[in-house]
Amino acid sequence: MDDLLNEFLTETNESIDVVDVELVTLEQDPTNKPILDNIFRLVHTIKGTCGFLGLPRLESVAHAGENVLGKYRDGELVVTSDSVTLILSALDRIKEILAGLEETQEEPQGDDTEIINLLNEVAYGDAVAAVSPVEDAPVEEAIEMPEITQSENVLPGQVSLEELEAAFAAAPGPDDDEEEDVTAEDDKEDILTRIGGVDAIKVIIHLFHNRILGDVSVKTLLDGANTRESKEKMGDFFTAYLAGKPEKAPSVSATFEPFISNGITDKQNDTIRKLLGDVLEEVDLSSLDAEAVLAEYDDVAINIFSETAKKTNTKNKKSDKKAAAANANANAKAGDSSLANQSIRVNVQVLEDLMTMVSELVLTRNQLMQLLRNSNDSAFSIPLQHLSQCTTELQEGVMKTRMQPVGNAWAKLPRIIRDLQLELGKKIDLQMLGADTELDRQVLEMIKDPLTHMVRNSADHGVEMPADRLAAGKKETGVIRLNAFHEGGHIIIEITDDGAGIPVEKLKAKALKNGLATEEELDEMTDNQIQMFVFHAGFSTAEKVTAVSGRGVGMDVVRTNIEKIGGTVDLKSVEGKGTSFSIKIPLTLAIVSALIVKCRDDRFAIPQISVLELVRASKDSEHSIEHINDTPVLRLRDRLLPLIRLDEILGMTAVDKETTEESEKKKDDYIVITQVGSFTFGIVVDKVFDTEEIVVKPVAPILRNLQTFAGNTILGDGKVIMILDPNGIANQISDSVTDTGGFGAEEEKQTRAADEREAILLFRAGENNRRAVPLSLVARLEEIEVETIEISDGKPVVQYRGQLMPLVSLDNTYQLKTEGRQPILVFADGDKSMGIVVDEIIDILEDDINIELSSAIDGQVGTAVINGHATEMIDVAFYIEKAFGTLGSSSTSGHTGEEAKPHILLIDDSKFFLNMIKPLLSAAGYKITAVDSGASALALREQGNDYDIIISDIEMPDMDGFSFAEEVREGGIWQKTPMIALSSHHTPKDFARGREVGFDDYVVKLERDTLMTTIVDQISKKQNAA
Amino acid sequence: MENENRDFVTIRLAGQLCGIPVLEVHDVLSEQSITAVPLAPPAVAGVLNLRGRIVTAINLRKRLGLAEQEADGENMSIVVEYQGEPYSLLIDSVGDVMSFPEDSFERNPVTLESCWQDVSGGIFRLKGELMVILDVEKLLNFDIGQATAA
Repeated sequence: MDDLLNEFLTETNESIDVVDVELVTLEQDPTNKPILDNIFRLVHTIKGTCGFLGLPRLESVAHAGENVLGKYRDGELVVTSDSVTLILSALDRIKEILAGLEETQEEPQGDDTEIINLLNEVAYGDAVAAVSPVEDAPVEEAIEMPEITQSENVLPGQVSLEELEAAFAAAPGPDDDEEEDVTAEDDKEDILTRIGGVDAIKVIIHLFHNRILGDVSVKTLLDGANTRESKEKMGDFFTAYLAGKPEKAPSVSATFEPFISNGITDKQNDTIRKLLGDVLEEVDLSSLDAEAVLAEYDDVAINIFSETAKKTNTKNKKSDKKAAAANANANAKAGDSSLANQSIRVNVQVLEDLMTMVSELVLTRNQLMQLLRNSNDSAFSIPLQHLSQCTTELQEGVMKTRMQPVGNAWAKLPRIIRDLQLELGKKIDLQMLGADTELDRQVLEMIKDPLTHMVRNSADHGVEMPADRLAAGKKETGVIRLNAFHEGGHIIIEITDDGAGIPVEKLKAKALKNGLATEEELDEMTDNQIQMFVFHAGFSTAEKVTAVSGRGVGMDVVRTNIEKIGGTVDLKSVEGKGTSFSIKIPLTLAIVSALIVKCRDDRFAIPQISVLELVRASKDSEHSIEHINDTPVLRLRDRLLPLIRLDEILGMTAVDKETTEESEKKKDDYIVITQVGSFTFGIVVDKVFDTEEIVVKPVAPILRNLQTFAGNTILGDGKVIMILDPNGIANQISDSVTDTGGFGAEEEKQTRAADEREAILLFRAGENNRRAVPLSLVARLEEIEVETIEISDGKPVVQYRGQLMPLVSLDNTYQLKTEGRQPILVFADGDKSMGIVVDEIIDILEDDINIELSSAIDGQVGTAVINGHATEMIDVAFYIEKAFGTLGSSSTSGHTGEEAKPHILLIDDSKFFLNMIKPLLSAAGYKITAVDSGASALALREQGNDYDIIISDIEMPDMDGFSFAEEVREGGIWQKTPMIALSSHHTPKDFARGREVGFDDYVVKLERDTLMTTIVDQISKKQNAA
Repeated sequence: MENENRDFVTIRLAGQLCGIPVLEVHDVLSEQSITAVPLAPPAVAGVLNLRGRIVTAINLRKRLGLAEQEADGENMSIVVEYQGEPYSLLIDSVGDVMSFPEDSFERNPVTLESCWQDVSGGIFRLKGELMVILDVEKLLNFDIGQATAA
């Protein structure tokens, strides 16, 4: 019975979930017949099974719900949101009861009359309203009962069983009074009249049916039958028979069709007869009359049996092989079992255990493989290879059993959104894409609640009231879109709404109030940074606390939960346009491939998924670690890569300096290039071993707050090692740089770093001024032997990578060093390089660049305060020009200067960037107009200024590049002007978006060569077109 | 209190005799190879592999604020479980399992040092010496330890 109950619970819960979703769909599309049929079928099954298992509470609630659904199906009721709400609440009640059932194995106590009455009211509408006085004043009405039962317009068969029984028990009147006369007359024709006429028959048949359905041994006889139809037929049948006009009655086979097709047995027939007798007795029929009716039934029963036998025979003939299936029960179930055979239910715990065992097996396999590696030529080698293969396949197989479509986590959302719509008076369209994307069950469980919460938030905070939406020029119905897809070993789930966005000003005020940031700090933050505050505890911008959200717990928990499973959550929001959350989670948690590295005496594992490449660095190889004031960096393919030393991060530097220095001299360093989000950095380790499949095991609670580690594992040799968490490490180092509170891993931060906080190289050259140049412009840092500097054409040059590289000093008075090594900054322009000689490189840091004093001096952009000191920003373009005579003598050549210089409109909110790129473009022979916002650019359009090409930044406050482009393309004199987008984003998606809104091309910021060629391309295209 | 004997695994820690209720002891280990966990609290000696389970090793001396042990100790450890997680307690040496009558039990003297007070479940008077009962729950509840340290 336990198993049966369990199965029932799982199945019913599943059905209820489906019904939940389908009902919401039905509400939107009331005429969808297949959906309605499906709902009806599911509820009916639930009801049926409840009866079978003897769960009266569940059965009665389900039955009442089914009644309403039946009315929908028969087209007697229109699907309204009120009635759907009622059915949904009935489902909720069923869920409650199921939960209780699961806990105690018994139906919990409770009273469902209210909800049942409500449902009946909907189902029978006026009919019940007319009868309802019965409930209110049973005594009075009982006397009038005969009238009610006899009146044709009330169908007693449709009044609930309880009411009827009560009414009959309380109304002995008609039968008692008339009994004597009737018996006296003793006329067969009058049995019908004596027992109360057609309506009494109907009542009897109704009760009879309910009894049958309530009796486990015979209820299957009504399987597949339409109860209402069957009642009508039996009613007509008995009426005709009892009235002595059997010729008017429908045929036995038609009336008792369900009995026959379900193969009634002798025993069942006895039970049926007994039930009928009970009913007759209950309605106070005299024993004589009851005998008469039963006698009629016995006659009929003989016919039923002969019909049943016929039917069974034909069936047997049709399918001899399936003789066994002739059994009634088997027959009834044959339909669904063939489908069900293809899948079985397995307890989750079994799967979990299986997974654990497979994990252990993988570990043991690893151990064996390790042993094998150490012993050459072992006889075990081939079987072990095979074992390894099998283990891998087994592992994959077991993993597959754990995969579930992400849609499972979404199943409850339509219902939630529907309820919210009613509660909040909003109109929301929930779109779910990629619901069949699969991910690990464990992960799925973990994100279920965060997801629900976020969708709720979107509905509550995001989507505005319909009136507000209309006022804002949007469609009345808000859209919340869920989208799940795979991306490189991760699953991305996006939750997008087109609502009001996250109000930056409100957040600012709140952040100030809560003391999370000072006003100055807030001023410096981008909107996005401020919006990220929603992930802090105690933040909710809903003005009033609703039942839905706004209690200030939530988003921080969401983030914690997601990060717990190694995921990240990111947020983009434009005020007035909407908000988009994107959750990135690993596919599975259990087994990962990891790189084993050594640092000092310990080994550590780094999840392979975040490792981009490995670089060996030694003094004499191509790659070597260089230091800028103790900050290690690595040149990798003409880029400087920030490095962190693992021993430092792990606090191991305390070991006495001598040994470290010594080892530093002789050893090669291995650098694990790691990527977290779009942030790439190198981890310096002492040695790199193999990659291994490891089973991530959580660390003890006491160690759980160490964000450096993602867990620990047992290696093939039995040693425990710690698994490094690149996310945590990135957070740790970026915290110290940007101090923005731990979303370092996200791409957003990188954009910000590129946008707002530039990595700046600080150096000293000549005099004592601090000077700076954006690190992104520097190709390499070099130190050259002074002796190698030669003088050519009166200018210092050096042979560098097979070319002559001119050396430029920042001011004419500057003297090259006379001995030792000369540090230079190498800038590359196309295939040409130029070196700027400097005295000393001070530091690399990230800071905002605010040019406070613009400079009139050539070669200087202006003065900015960096790190608390006035610092001159040098104009690299000027020096490149100085070194090569004219800029762009190489392939980057811009415009070769025909009659008129092409006129470029440049839009970028970063003054720094404008200052950087303006000289470049003008040096390449263009005329430049630069403005710092889309709005000012549009103002120029209004004034009638025309340009040959427009170059616009994408990330700008107020009006971003996309909206600007849309605006431009909408009309006006710039409609056909070529437009180039500049952005630090460079995913194909961004490109596509750019194209879509009207940009002709898309160039990544600071890729100067591409920009130049793109400009030339676009201008020539325009000229050709003209 | 019942008049029954209570069984303890006796251990020595910096000369002091201590006892851990025998039913809480899952394992007694000889010296194991322990992987240090960088950045972990000082009392955590590292992690070790006990038949496929990862066990967190706690240095009891550090936990109790005692001096480091000289290099030639036995380095035994006792495996206990706390909140479903296995921990191995590093101690100097393990003695016998002993049974003590309930009537030789005493509460902690109020003057006991706070670091001992925090982890002790009482004292047993033995012939010639005293045995401190180590309360595993308290021992591994690091919140208390940190609070005292702070």
